[in-house]
Amino acid sequence: MSARNPGTNLDLERISKVIVNTQAILKRAQGIQGQKVPKKQWQTAWLLKAVTCIDLTTLAGDDTPSNVHRLCLKAIQPVRYDLLKKMDLHDKGITTAAVCVYPSRVADAIKSLKGANSNLPVASVATGFPAGQTPLEIRLQEVRTAVSHGATEIDIVINRMLALTGQWEAMYNEIRQFREACGDAHMKTILAIGELGTFTTVYKASLVAMMAGSDFIKTSTGKEAVNATYPIAIVMVRAIRDYYLWTGQKVGFKPAGGIRTAQESLVWLNLIKQELGNDWLCPHLFRLGASSLLADIERQIYHHVTGQYAAYHELPMA
Amino acid sequence: MAGSTTKTVYDIFLSMENGPASTSSTVNAQAWLDHHSRSLGLFINGKFVQPAGRQSRSLADSKGGVVCNTACAEDEDISQCATSAVNGYKSWSSLTCFQRAKVLLRLVSALGLHGQCLTELCGLCENPCSPSSLVRLLQYYSCWAQLRDTFISDWTPIGVVAVVTSDNCSLYSLMLKVLPALAMGNSVIVIPGQSSGPPALLLAQLFMGAGLPVGALNVLTGSDVMLGAKVAQNPNIGYMTYSGDKQDGVMLCTASAGMGVPVSLSPSIGSTCPFIIFESADIDSAVEEVIETAFKKKKEIHWVLCVQESVSDSVVARLKLRLAGMKCVTLHSEAERLLVDAAVQQAQQQGAMLIQSCAAPPSGAQYPPTVLCGSAPSSPCVVNPGPGPLLPLMTFRTNSEAVAMGNHSPHGFAASIWTEDLTLALETAKSLSVGFVWVNSNSVYDPCLPVSGHKDSGTCTDGGREGLYQFLRPSISCPPLPRSLSISMNYSNFGTEVPAPVIPDASDPSNAPPTYLQFVAGKACKSVSGTNFPLQAPGCDTVLAFCPDGGRKDVRNAVEAAIKVQPGWAKKSQSARAQSLYSLAKGLEAKRQAIAASVTTQTGTSPDEADKEVEMSIVRLNIWGAYCDKVQGGSLPMPQSGSALSIPEALGVVGVVLPDKNPLLSMVTLLGAAIATGNAVIMVPSQKYPLPALTFIQVIQSSDLPAGLVNVITGSRDQLTVALATHSVIKAIWYWGSAEGCQYLQHTCTSPLKTLRLFRQKDEDGKDGGIDWSQSHPSLLEELWRNAVQWKSVWIPTA
Repeated sequence: MSARNPGTNLDLERISKVIVNTQAILKRAQGIQGQKVPKKQWQTAWLLKAVTCIDLTTLAGDDTPSNVHRLCLKAIQPVRYDLLKKMDLHDKGITTAAVCVYPSRVADAIKSLKGANSNLPVASVATGFPAGQTPLEIRLQEVRTAVSHGATEIDIVINRMLALTGQWEAMYNEIRQFREACGDAHMKTILAIGELGTFTTVYKASLVAMMAGSDFIKTSTGKEAVNATYPIAIVMVRAIRDYYLWTGQKVGFKPAGGIRTAQESLVWLNLIKQELGNDWLCPHLFRLGASSLLADIERQIYHHVTGQYAAYHELPMA
Repeated sequence: MAGSTTKTVYDIFLSMENGPASTSSTVNAQAWLDHHSRSLGLFINGKFVQPAGRQSRSLADSKGGVVCNTACAEDEDISQCATSAVNGYKSWSSLTCFQRAKVLLRLVSALGLHGQCLTELCGLCENPCSPSSLVRLLQYYSCWAQLRDTFISDWTPIGVVAVVTSDNCSLYSLMLKVLPALAMGNSVIVIPGQSSGPPALLLAQLFMGAGLPVGALNVLTGSDVMLGAKVAQNPNIGYMTYSGDKQDGVMLCTASAGMGVPVSLSPSIGSTCPFIIFESADIDSAVEEVIETAFKKKKEIHWVLCVQESVSDSVVARLKLRLAGMKCVTLHSEAERLLVDAAVQQAQQQGAMLIQSCAAPPSGAQYPPTVLCGSAPSSPCVVNPGPGPLLPLMTFRTNSEAVAMGNHSPHGFAASIWTEDLTLALETAKSLSVGFVWVNSNSVYDPCLPVSGHKDSGTCTDGGREGLYQFLRPSISCPPLPRSLSISMNYSNFGTEVPAPVIPDASDPSNAPPTYLQFVAGKACKSVSGTNFPLQAPGCDTVLAFCPDGGRKDVRNAVEAAIKVQPGWAKKSQSARAQSLYSLAKGLEAKRQAIAASVTTQTGTSPDEADKEVEMSIVRLNIWGAYCDKVQGGSLPMPQSGSALSIPEALGVVGVVLPDKNPLLSMVTLLGAAIATGNAVIMVPSQKYPLPALTFIQVIQSSDLPAGLVNVITGSRDQLTVALATHSVIKAIWYWGSAEGCQYLQHTCTSPLKTLRLFRQKDEDGKDGGIDWSQSHPSLLEELWRNAVQWKSVWIPTA
């Protein structure tokens, strides 16, 4: 990964000035969804880009070493080798961006990846995921444990109570401590936007998270009622743009939860391209948190290469 | 397209570029055009006709390919079409409201079936129009067709209406005129501009399928907008309305002057409109909207970006980011490129800083979206905006400066304002002199929004209930102008006739007729020239009185005074205005004997008759007082969620050249209509019967009307008409007078546009366009106050 966001002091004045017009955001989101997505080889190329931005995720109570192992091997070879070969892409190192698991499964994932001679990063959620309602000390400990098990990316969740009540300073300090606990591991801050109320709060929480040194800001845990929606994404990427114009630091963006189809992934890429520019269209600055998305993308690529629609069983399962 | 096949997936994977714009299928439209052998005829009497020997005009797309040919109608076709329209009017207007509404709804179903063909055809003609917007128009106006007699009783359709558009006018704007005209029961002759011609023909065909009576909708194509003037010559045309650019509109006005057809314009294309970003705005969203609207290939509005100084850096930084990577916009021609280069160079010479998506290619009909930072209201790119994707950016300091900047333009079509501050938004919306105000949004059109282009942007109201009245007249009135042929007249000589000088004679000085004063800026005074004209008693040679011989300078002084007090008067509460009118009525009552006497002396009517006229005038003023708080806007039923408001606004300064008939009552009626709605007036009393008006000055003086709100100037009617016509501040002229005067006004009042209400009165019998002033029928008064206001629609998207 490239240079990290060192964060800034907490600038409460900047936060108090945030203005977001809900209707304009909704209209923009509608506009983006209404735009034509790329076709033919452009579509395939974009879909492959989406693949390389996926944090292939399993976050379930019944995760065991065996399904984590399958996930890891799928992450290394996300698209069938013969399909890539036909497009001359078999040797271009096309993998997902990372695998994402619970802290207790980090060691399993590392083991599987090592066994397959891959240094694909392992991301771990932490800090009392998904609710964030555990004591701070325990949440910090969770981060340290995940890092010590080998996770190089940590997805932390913010304390929604602090955001909803406007205690930005407390939230800033918490995230600062997480960042410290992460050490060299990159930190993605989950805002759990489904529980933040207004767009303005989302924008403010995004700014605070970036000021506190987040390398990515992430929409949601996937466990809330509302997950990654386009309007919310527009608000968050505009906060990223604002932070970039202010500090020159590029912070990444990760929508997660409910992204299932290839079509949606194209809309996401287009949104990022338009609002932030091509610089952000890479795994360093853009991630898609998803589990079932990959299967649909692989089918679309299959169709592009063969001209035929695949049955799910024709493509390797994760 | 050359490189498209060589780009491998991996290339694109690395560059993440967008693919080539996909070209949509045009199979249906092509098949329809082929069915007509690519040569479309005229649509007369419910079918396509292809008269032999007509010139044809070919419609080419921007790549130079010929889409199709349209026929150029000639005189014979026009008269055939007019006859058809008259018959069409008979059958269409005799249907019930329900039946008419049904036809409009059936067209919605037809669009469901053939919408694709229409969309494709619009695409081929490079005049994009979404079927859903047409469906919305049809559904909206079918409701009005159904409810016409319920809500707008006592009004009847005009008859045959001609709708003319310029070549670059959208199909939507065309239908925004055609559908209300049809819904009110008129028959319509459409004279579409080039790019809306084929879609209009297709729609006419679909209308027939939907059960529209033959002749109710005819389409005539021609070589240019002058076909409209030729159509207006036909004595069966009752009204002509135009949408498009200003230039063609003016040509149409001057060419059809004197034919006795009222003409109104909605020249929205090419107007300069402010896009105002306050510091309290969601700047990201505002910038996004700028990106979306300001750099379109088809540039209907020249936006000027006005940004509050405190956030201008922030706006510029975001514009830079957003513009980066945007593609060049295709210009219409290489010649346009030269204009764009010249404009940019000129701006740079004045120190403008450019923000461009990429460097401009050295030549060719392409140019990148460009923001000209550091422009000023005096910059050429603001004063005379040209073609191309150029956007001037100016900064302002305060909220009131933003309004001043937004208003300082000859145009008044629309404005987009961005702020989260509700108070500021509504105050700004009220203060901007424009038809559309979009708050935190942009270019939202809907037929339910009544909009009058302010200033030079229009002379009629389109949309909403208010927009229906241009296609109706009170049932008890008759058409204001008799049909005539325009006379050949020398416009520069009109009103220059010098009156005979008054010389001292030998008559008994003690017996000398009285000398009256006129009323300018709240003072009774002589004319600036100091001269008077002798007023003859009716039917004999004796001099009744000497009246001031006012002229250009008197009008100028009156306008200066009027424009000072009018905004304050319009802002006054309605009830305060009502009180002033009641006090005027009271003053008239107090002076009723003197006034009645002046009526008797002047017109020779019996004292009883005169007293009756005074009595009616008192009542009339009281009625207008009561109307003050009844002229109101409201909230509108937009299909999207949000708040839409309509606001009636005063026109400003209205010039009234008064009729001869009922000199007191007619004056009081028109005066009341104008000031009750917040206008200032400059009245020119009947040249024949000025005494009641001059006596009425005492009543105005004793009232609490602000000085300068009402002015009375006597003199030569023609000369004063010229003075009114050539003063740009005057927004409307209501005129009773000669055929020459009507023609002169139609020909002259085009730059800036004035709203004209013309009535021809014949000098001999004093007939005045048929208005019976003693009638106080609601529809007559409604017509008067509707003529005295213009409409503004404010749209605020909310949840």
